[in-house]
Amino acid sequence: MASGASGSLGEEGRRTVFGWIKTRFPSVPWADLTRKAIETDQRQMPRSHAEKYELKTIWYWYPLYCLGGISFVAFIILTITGIILGFFYVPDGRLMRETTGSLTNPAYLSMQRIMFEVPFGFIIRGLHHWAAHIMIAAVFLHMCRVYFTGAYKKPRELNWLIGVLLLLMTILFGYSGYLLPANNLSEGAANIGINMTRASPLIGDQLARLLWGDINTLSGYYILRWYWIHVFILPFLATGVMIVHMGLVWIQGVAEPH
Amino acid sequence: MEIEKVKERIMEGRPGFTRQYGPARTDHQPGIPLFPQEATRDFVVVLFLTAIMFFLTAFVTPLLGPPRSPQLSELIVPDWYLLFSWGLLKIADIFPEFTLGAGTPLETQFSAVFWGDILSGIPIIALLLLPFLDRGREARPAKAPIRSAVGLAAIVAIFTSSLYSIREVIWQRWMTPNGSPLIDDTAMKWFFVIPPVLVGLSAYVGLRRLGFKSMRKWLVPLTLGSFLLVAGQSLAILFLPGWLAPQVQPYWVPLALFLLLLSGAAGAAALAVLVLPESRARRAVHLTGIVALLAFAGGLLYLGSTDALALDWVLSVLEPNTNTLLLLPGFAVVTAWFGLRRPYSTYEYLLNECYQCGKCHTVCPVTKVEDDALGGLNLVYNSFKKQHDGVPLWTCLACDACSAVCPLDIKYSDYILEERSKAHARSAADGGEVE
Repeated sequence: MASGASGSLGEEGRRTVFGWIKTRFPSVPWADLTRKAIETDQRQMPRSHAEKYELKTIWYWYPLYCLGGISFVAFIILTITGIILGFFYVPDGRLMRETTGSLTNPAYLSMQRIMFEVPFGFIIRGLHHWAAHIMIAAVFLHMCRVYFTGAYKKPRELNWLIGVLLLLMTILFGYSGYLLPANNLSEGAANIGINMTRASPLIGDQLARLLWGDINTLSGYYILRWYWIHVFILPFLATGVMIVHMGLVWIQGVAEPH
Repeated sequence: MEIEKVKERIMEGRPGFTRQYGPARTDHQPGIPLFPQEATRDFVVVLFLTAIMFFLTAFVTPLLGPPRSPQLSELIVPDWYLLFSWGLLKIADIFPEFTLGAGTPLETQFSAVFWGDILSGIPIIALLLLPFLDRGREARPAKAPIRSAVGLAAIVAIFTSSLYSIREVIWQRWMTPNGSPLIDDTAMKWFFVIPPVLVGLSAYVGLRRLGFKSMRKWLVPLTLGSFLLVAGQSLAILFLPGWLAPQVQPYWVPLALFLLLLSGAAGAAALAVLVLPESRARRAVHLTGIVALLAFAGGLLYLGSTDALALDWVLSVLEPNTNTLLLLPGFAVVTAWFGLRRPYSTYEYLLNECYQCGKCHTVCPVTKVEDDALGGLNLVYNSFKKQHDGVPLWTCLACDACSAVCPLDIKYSDYILEERSKAHARSAADGGEVE
């Protein structure tokens, strides 16, 4: 009787809730369409030459064949931990005096708060730090793999160029990331960066004011500038370029030495 | 009638045997399904990666350091991935500094930092141009020796550039007994250039050798040149006045022994390349390398344990000349070894290029008469996969018709002859009994 046409209360509730959602957000036809498209057109993931022809001696390249994926996973972890860090970080590098008289700044104080007061804050920052290192290493090794296996050749030249762009973005991510804690590493790195920017001909100082907010690190404006580059401009651009990069890999298939 | 017979004999049902070759074949083995196999593997990799990050976080916590202040007291070292760029910035002081168009609106100062900017831009431009410069078809690293050698040289250059960026640390860390830096700036600048070049040359020779080329034309100038450079510099240091600092004069004998060993190693490699037949030269170079390395390490240990000051002064001559005295003998021996190597087991590597066009099967005279060979035989591909149950190996005439039509220039009969000699050698080693 309980399992009759009327159904149980739970069943009824589930049907009501999901029915309400499904009426307003009909996901099923779309998922179904995608599944059908994949299953009838490709039936499986695109396969490489080596897979198709069961070639053997390239096994020693295999450990280098998931580096792009590893850097993407690291990027996702960076996004998650970065969002959490963003709740506590104060992008203000202006110098101020502590009660003891020594120099400090709000960005550094917020970093100290993350490290010592926020629950699990040091773990989140540590994850962000190490995921960044892993991502940069993976991107570099990925580039080496593509280079040595000649995977940038026709028809993949465009994807190589996009990849070079992504490599530069990744290094900029790392660089802007270690500018933010406003410690002495940040100070030294910012000085090198400002000097490099100012050395460019004709528009050096204007470029420095644009990128760094000032032509030296005294004002501390560079923290805010590079904070916004680090958390908005670069992620915005990089995510788009990454989608194109991976889309092209999907379309063209993985290149392997054969 | 005939086709029925062929169909009977065809090995279509068996793994690896097909009727069609090339892109039209329909019996591809399915890849790994995305779900659940592939997805499970990816999930495990992701969890493993995250676990590594947690591990690093727990045991290597990134510390904050002191807050920023305009007075920097210590040397700031950027993260490892920017060290190479910093090294390029520092090495840029070798360029002349001048100002173009002074007084005009287009005034451009070619300062050391601007030269550093230009130097940092070079690798980026090279990366952007790469696919348009290298337009060849070859994908395999071992079959594209120039590309692979340049790539290895570039990786070494990244390391040496990073090393140069911490020159101050090296100056403070290693000193001569009288307190001056052991390795001066000039030697470190050359160390930025020389190791990449040597690694590139060595890799080029080794990879060309992998393709069965005789590398004598490369080996003779490289090993002989190394020997002449090392021997010449050793003689100059030992006998020309002014080359040896007066503090090192008392340690002339141990220094001479070390220099003799180093130039001897390079000389032995050059001599072996010049006069010996290849197989004996290979053994000679092998022996030279091992003996020289052991003797060098033993000499350092012996001198260090008996007279540490003597060792310090000997090193004060050797280390600043790392680029010639220490690198070149090693380069000569290693390159000679690479260039004389017997590139064993590369037939499999070459055969693996086969993309099953089936042309070898079409022209092969054996397949026209041999019953077993009818139908499914694709000579190169099936031999490589060891699915030929011995037929092509022992019935092949070595007429080379297959190599003549092979679009990838696979030397099939060479492979067959090599395999036959291997089989004979094996049976001889087993006491002359076949199976």
